[in-house]
Amino acid sequence: MLSCKQQVARSSDYLDGQLSFRERLLVRHHLLFCPNCRRFIKQMRLMSAALRKLPEPLPTDLEQTVERMMREQSR
Amino acid sequence: MATADDAELLKRLLSGEQQAFRELVSTYQSAMKAVAYAIVGNRHADEAVQDAWLSVVRNLSGFEGRSSLKTWLLTITANSAKNRYKQNRREVLLDDLPSPHGTIDPERFSSDGHWLLAPFAWHQDTPEALLTEDELRECLEQTLLSLPQLQSSVLVLRERQGLELEEICNLLELSLSNVRVLVHRARLKVFATVEHFEETGEC
Repeated sequence: MLSCKQQVARSSDYLDGQLSFRERLLVRHHLLFCPNCRRFIKQMRLMSAALRKLPEPLPTDLEQTVERMMREQSR
Repeated sequence: MATADDAELLKRLLSGEQQAFRELVSTYQSAMKAVAYAIVGNRHADEAVQDAWLSVVRNLSGFEGRSSLKTWLLTITANSAKNRYKQNRREVLLDDLPSPHGTIDPERFSSDGHWLLAPFAWHQDTPEALLTEDELRECLEQTLLSLPQLQSSVLVLRERQGLELEEICNLLELSLSNVRVLVHRARLKVFATVEHFEETGEC
């Protein structure tokens, strides 16, 4: 059985689908019995989703860049 | 493969439509910047992105749609950045700077590997609810900037830009195991930041 520390060390690989079948089973087995680690994984997923949805500001140099590109195109 | 949207945008770009260039730059520049930042660092990232844009314009008619437009743009950016200046990345890679709110470090666990200080339960359970707080949004941006160069770029490309790990390896010429380590270290630091924010209400 994995310890919590070992589960945390494998968490990104678990979320990214990088674990072998056997390692994935070990993590699942640990999560089944450990509410703290279930919370940890749930919040890791939540954090990833939040980063994915973090709004991106428009580039500050947008207009200059567009101008430069159009000039280059008409050369 | 290029999507129908890519093909449509490409047609407008080739006809020299200004609004199409605006859309292109606003959609893809931050992903390009993350790639450039990983390769040449902060000081030269903007210049590398500008080089890349000019190269994109010169090669637009040669885009054949065998990859998505995004992949094509990021590949051009990686090449521009490599041409401009290549740092000794070995040092950068092994460098692991402390983050403002730390990480989930070994001290969180007892000697038998159990949590000593269990994860704090966050108040929100959807990304939308988390992001309604302006301060947390700013705090996340600051944390991304505070990460070591490669950790920051790799996390931005993985999470914010949704790239596959293999794509990141190819663009940045890193091994899969290195990319996995970088993503993991970066995630734990961002996790610690959100946890701190949820616990104290402060960044």
